Amino acid sequence: MSEMWINMGPQHPMTHGLWNLRVKIEGELILDVDPEMGYLHRGIEKISEDRHYNEVITLMDRTCYVAGLAWEHLYILAAEDALHITPPERAEYLRTMCDEFQRVGSHIMWYAAFVQDLGLMSPFLYGMRDRDLVLDLFQSYTGARMTYEYMRVGGVRSDLPLGFTDRARRVLDWLTARFVEYDQLCLGSAIFRKRCDGLGVLKATDCVEHGVTGPMLRSAGMKRDLRRDRPYAVYDQLDFDVAVADGADVTARYLVRMEELRQSVRMLRQILDWLDRHPGPAMAEELPRWLGAPYAPVGKEGYLLKRNYPKGVGFSSVEEPHGEAQAYVVNEGTEHPYRVKFRSPVFANISAARQYLVGYHVADIPPIMGSVDVCVGEVDR
Amino acid sequence: MGGAVEAKEKPNENPILWVARPMATAAKQFAKSLVRPSTIVYPFERLEDPKFRGKVAVESGRPIGVGEVWDNYRGVHALNIATCISCNLCAFSCPDLCIDMVTVPGGDPKHPKKCPQIDYGKCSYCGFCSDACPEGCLTMTTRYELSVTKRADMVYSPERLHEVFRSKLPMNPIRLARPENEDAILLDPPLCIGCNACARDCPTQCITMLDVPKPDAKPGEKLPKRIWKEPVVNDSDCVRCGTCISVCPKECLFWGTRK
Repeated sequence: MSEMWINMGPQHPMTHGLWNLRVKIEGELILDVDPEMGYLHRGIEKISEDRHYNEVITLMDRTCYVAGLAWEHLYILAAEDALHITPPERAEYLRTMCDEFQRVGSHIMWYAAFVQDLGLMSPFLYGMRDRDLVLDLFQSYTGARMTYEYMRVGGVRSDLPLGFTDRARRVLDWLTARFVEYDQLCLGSAIFRKRCDGLGVLKATDCVEHGVTGPMLRSAGMKRDLRRDRPYAVYDQLDFDVAVADGADVTARYLVRMEELRQSVRMLRQILDWLDRHPGPAMAEELPRWLGAPYAPVGKEGYLLKRNYPKGVGFSSVEEPHGEAQAYVVNEGTEHPYRVKFRSPVFANISAARQYLVGYHVADIPPIMGSVDVCVGEVDR
Repeated sequence: MGGAVEAKEKPNENPILWVARPMATAAKQFAKSLVRPSTIVYPFERLEDPKFRGKVAVESGRPIGVGEVWDNYRGVHALNIATCISCNLCAFSCPDLCIDMVTVPGGDPKHPKKCPQIDYGKCSYCGFCSDACPEGCLTMTTRYELSVTKRADMVYSPERLHEVFRSKLPMNPIRLARPENEDAILLDPPLCIGCNACARDCPTQCITMLDVPKPDAKPGEKLPKRIWKEPVVNDSDCVRCGTCISVCPKECLFWGTRK
């Protein structure tokens, strides 16, 4: 007997969403795995073709539900590239601030989910509690806790409310102290270290071969971060280090994410200082009417065709909390994008599951897949 | 250092310490939570309570108010029926198609006044409608409780939205910074039949039908009036809702830049 296939998912505590991991086992040993995705496919790329450029933003928040603003930023960069629009500098700083707060929120969420996979309940509650502070900040200036709809082609929807930067600094102070506690709870615990050290090793060469990006790639010792290598928004004006670690195992991924949290806090302090000193418009001055709020009927020939708006193709790549996301937007001169395509980093990361799961035991699957930081919303789109 | 991180200590050096440290951290958090818990006991304590609202709860270890609902929270809409001009822009801008324009009493019987009716079963609270509203009469409030027992109750009629407006909840103060509009409603004169439909349905009454001289008319020649009326749009009053374009039977109005 011995060899058999078992299904972990689509409803399984390990999956954090709807996807299925088929595992071929002999006893406790993993011989082969086969990740199956597609349970959460909503056709976001196709829906986008039937929507105004700004309305696609509502879909971006649903693409990745823990890093909505990062995906909004990704789409907006590509759309502005295609539409030949330049946002004001303050809007770019606001977007970068969104990105980094989102990274803090997403990594804390990852921490909470990951330690819960290991069976640690108290750190899970601490993580969820601390993430709420970031969500409070998001709510104060975007108006929602998860579906932000904050960015617009040509800028952002609104500027910050009064007193926001002081509140944000207090949150950062408070979170910095919590990061120390996270390390005490996990890194300082023998149970955690014995469970995670040397587990799920994926070497840098394998990462490159399989398109694995983000914290997984950096945990293998490769210093690649789009914020430094191909700066978008205002990352070239910020002072930060790229978090890397050796080991390529679960502990190394934990270390990289914890270091990224600290680097994000460091960047956020610089951004908040800049925002205090430089008031200005958060929306581009020169925008076509159809990119403003009202989307009125266009008449018989279509509005843009009559206007002969220049066509264009937009591409953007963003270091999202999970890895490198890419977007491609084709503007054929109508008020809807002709084609929208997204590249999800997590799709590549979990497609390579065979590389880092085979050879370990069944009980190792939750910590290893937890350390990948799966967000099924963006895998299936 | 350069951002490179490394776990310096390895397990099994001092077994007691490796167990005691996380336990001590957890115990500290437990003691803190006894003094000042982070949770709000929701049905009994509410976010809008004065004890939470506006309070910067630094002393509790939480840097900002736990349950503070900020004024620009996007909750249930408030509609001021009195200032609504029935321009349709909220319904046009809705990505979920959850807004219907329904007739409300009080309008001209020939051209009834229509106000938005919102189906909260479909609404995603994106705020595009309140961004689009040129008069600021459709805003979003901090109301977030929507439980109903019947599906039909999810549909808020204009009157019901007006009740929300009258309840004086904090309203979303955000108005989308709207760029200066260089676009205007332009006319293709040879196609116009002077039917007055655009001027009749314009929500802001910014279209007037003016007599225009016939290009090849002799001076002083009497012209048949109906044919030679043409709409003239007052750009400063126009909200760019496009109603005139959609009602024009000859499709002679279009968007463009006024020279």
